[in-house]
Amino acid sequence: MSSRSEVVEAMPAAETPFDFEATFRAQYARIARVIARVVRDSARAEELAVEVFLKFWRCPEAHGEKAEGWLYRTAVRKGLDELRSQTRRARYERLFGFASPVRNPEQLHAASEEQDRVRNVLTVIGSRHAELLLLRSNELSYEELAAALRLNPASVGKLLSRAQDAFRKEYVNRYGKG
Amino acid sequence: MEKDNSARWVDERLAELQNDRTWQPDVDRALAEVRACTTKERAPGAAWTWLAATVAAACICLLVFPESRDVVRHMWGVHHGPGPVDVGQVSADLSKVAAKQAAPNFTLKDASGHDVHLSDFKGKVVLINFWATWCVGCQTEIPWLVEFDQKYRDKGLAVIGVSMDEDGWKTLSPYLKEKGVSYTVVIGDDDMANAYGMIGMPMTYLIGRDGKVSAVSAGVVDKTTCETEITHLLAN
Repeated sequence: MSSRSEVVEAMPAAETPFDFEATFRAQYARIARVIARVVRDSARAEELAVEVFLKFWRCPEAHGEKAEGWLYRTAVRKGLDELRSQTRRARYERLFGFASPVRNPEQLHAASEEQDRVRNVLTVIGSRHAELLLLRSNELSYEELAAALRLNPASVGKLLSRAQDAFRKEYVNRYGKG
Repeated sequence: MEKDNSARWVDERLAELQNDRTWQPDVDRALAEVRACTTKERAPGAAWTWLAATVAAACICLLVFPESRDVVRHMWGVHHGPGPVDVGQVSADLSKVAAKQAAPNFTLKDASGHDVHLSDFKGKVVLINFWATWCVGCQTEIPWLVEFDQKYRDKGLAVIGVSMDEDGWKTLSPYLKEKGVSYTVVIGDDDMANAYGMIGMPMTYLIGRDGKVSAVSAGVVDKTTCETEITHLLAN
């Protein structure tokens, strides 16, 4: 049994009173990692993960058995929003002739050229495609993808395939076959 | 096959985003942060304090300036029916026409197209009421004005309704008929409204037999106080 399956089982049942703290402890690190894969800065990823859980706390209808899907969906959207905003900021900085964006040592260490390419492509291929690819790359099953993104489980394969095509086409257009 | 290769190629690209495996998100610190925010939001005292402070600040802003104070008084009268507006009390800030000043003359047309001048009513007590058909407070006053007109006309009261309706007699005539308005009604204009310092509707001026303004009221008048003032002026 994978560690994530254990987490799912540890989550409170819908009938019992909702235990926010238990869900937080069970899911926070995973949610922070999902976001960190998208944004370039792990400290920022932790801040965004806290924002996701605050939103979760304020949204009682998300509590219960669908909590995990809700958290993944919100996390990946939060990450993509942040990535787009970072990309915009970097573009403006280049446009206005500033020096190349300042990165902290951690970012310098972590950000490879290939990561930047993948992130750039994710910001332009459309939210739905990017969400699908990112959640799939976090090893969510088709059923879990369907639950997280509120899709028809029968359509997930087709949608994922389209998302992969869109990603590949955009990547090749920009950077060649890599 | 081609499809599988393509999917694998995309997976490989996305795998580049793998986190640093040594990185451990600090769950306890994050939980403390979330707790601090949620505790703040839960505390009803904080929310009520903010609400009370906002309301208090708004009230102070509204009441500290004479102009906004008059607007509040006027709004209160319009929306809540007869309020504590003292027809005998002149608000100094309203007044281009203040108490004991001569009321400006005017010439306006009545429903028959005849000119109506304030000077036509020399020696009488005149009640001038600025109103409009769409004004809720004005509708409250109309039956009272009809009553004053019928009760005190013979004793020397002239009630003049100055309508500020923009549609003119087309709207006004059927309305007056429906409401059984017996007193003189003219259609006002901006010149007259400016001369009298009208700031809203309804607005009522009581003019004594000497042609001087005795009282100004912004908002719905207090019927009893207004009647007392009329009888007092008629007695003089």
